[in-house]
Amino acid sequence: MSPARLATAWALFQGLLIEALPFLLIGVLISAAARWCAPGGQWLRRLPSHPVLGPLSGAALGFALPACECGNVPVARQLLVGGAPLGAALGFLFAAPVLNPIVLASTWAAFPNQPWLLLARPLGAVLVAVGLALLLRLVPEAELLQGDLLAERRLALPLSEVSLLERRGGVLGGGVLGGGVLGGGALTAATGTPRRPSLAELFRHGGQEFLNLALLLVLGCLLAALVQTFVPRTWLLTVGGAPTLSILALMLLAMVVSVCSSVDAFLALSFAAQVTPGALLAFLLLGPVIDLKLVGLLGLLLRPRGLLLTIAGASLLVLLIGQWINLWRL
Amino acid sequence: MKPTPGRPPLPQRAALQRGLLLALWALVLLRSSADGRLDLLLRAAFHPLVALAGLLLLALALVQLRLGLVDAAAAAERASRRQGLVLLVTAALSLAVIVLPPAPSFADLAAQRPGDDTAQEDLSFVLPPAQRSLTDWVRLLRSQPDPDLFAGDPVRISGFVLPMAGEPPQIARLLVRCCLADAAPVGLPVRWPGPPPPPDQWLRLEGRMAVTSSADGRQLVVLPSRIERIARPARPLEP
Repeated sequence: MSPARLATAWALFQGLLIEALPFLLIGVLISAAARWCAPGGQWLRRLPSHPVLGPLSGAALGFALPACECGNVPVARQLLVGGAPLGAALGFLFAAPVLNPIVLASTWAAFPNQPWLLLARPLGAVLVAVGLALLLRLVPEAELLQGDLLAERRLALPLSEVSLLERRGGVLGGGVLGGGVLGGGALTAATGTPRRPSLAELFRHGGQEFLNLALLLVLGCLLAALVQTFVPRTWLLTVGGAPTLSILALMLLAMVVSVCSSVDAFLALSFAAQVTPGALLAFLLLGPVIDLKLVGLLGLLLRPRGLLLTIAGASLLVLLIGQWINLWRL
Repeated sequence: MKPTPGRPPLPQRAALQRGLLLALWALVLLRSSADGRLDLLLRAAFHPLVALAGLLLLALALVQLRLGLVDAAAAAERASRRQGLVLLVTAALSLAVIVLPPAPSFADLAAQRPGDDTAQEDLSFVLPPAQRSLTDWVRLLRSQPDPDLFAGDPVRISGFVLPMAGEPPQIARLLVRCCLADAAPVGLPVRWPGPPPPPDQWLRLEGRMAVTSSADGRQLVVLPSRIERIARPARPLEP
């Protein structure tokens, strides 16, 4: 391990981190604005809970709340804490990093001569999001979501939606106040009369949320920088022409490279001519859902089982979409 | 949150610790914006966003610090052990980022990346030969692949020395769309007059384009008449 290589890994780490921190802050600010504008999250609970319509409505929220995948995590967390149906929140989490105006515009700017890609990317993102939401519905919420998130979420849900076993000592979730990872944010619904959080509460919650997410982001960036430095990227692109291998290789590359979804199309442009169309789309679909940089952040929402299911499900869906595109375009 | 009677000592107040942590992150972003390292890490379009985020974090930090001193409820909140741990890790990390600026080896980075293969079918504007940067030359050669069109043209370019497997090193630049993580090299072959310079060395070359024949066919090569060692430029990455 040469000092030059370590210095390169350190620089890559700084590049990834400094690029992602502003987007994380944007996500936390959107999340705080949602808490301020919709205390108690009543409108969130009106989102459809239908297995397919729920994720679709969540995905559509991406147009209103443009954030790339790092900024998306705090917003999705806020949706879950506010009591949004699980499918809608997951639909937002997985599709919104693609279904937002900034990402669609950058895809168009990078590939103006490939109209099929401009259609296939958002459609593919919706398919992946709906598929993942359907898959994760099979796991009970208590086994899917992290404990502190679940506790905050139950405070926002009406009593009728929480099982008797999950209620505690008269006041829902009374034991978690201030004890959760992100502190007691949505604690006002316990009495049934949501109130707007005070500015002090808002700053406290937002500040703590940013700090915890930033630390997880650091871990993800460290991992991504080390893998990028010590695994030559040329290995992944040597199989560019093989239909299935090229898709798998580009999926792996998307996991490793960990760039923001608002610019990944420009990165894909640099090797678009070397790979199959299905592989190109796979790169653009998988990166926004899961990559090394995101693993830590998603771990704040999902338990390990949910995280593994997300990685496996997203990979399978993206591989199938890539194969289908290769059958069509090659 | 039920306020505890009395206020904990200043170092144990959660709001003050949060304020300090946010200030550290703000310092990382603002320091990075001020010391020029962003030119080495990110595409220029993102620089204002980093500075703005730094200022916003600083404002949030000041609010937290004020709350920890003035607001009764906030001042009464005692920091948890976990928050103390976050404080230590963040402080160590942010200080490391500030104290150890990035010093990547471009040659090492480029050696692991496939070259940029962006197809540029037509160039709307072409600079005179002596004013073309290395990247301009590479893009021009992609749009006009006939090497004989450029034989004898004057060349004045700068870049770093990129070792190539099985052939002489090239003079190269890194193209970046977002951050260093997506950097892709572009390079031009050079016929070095003596032993080639060491990898990563930044050079300014003046000379002419010439056509050589190799197993891959005819290709353009830079024939330098003057080679000057230079320091890494302040903005080494190209969009």
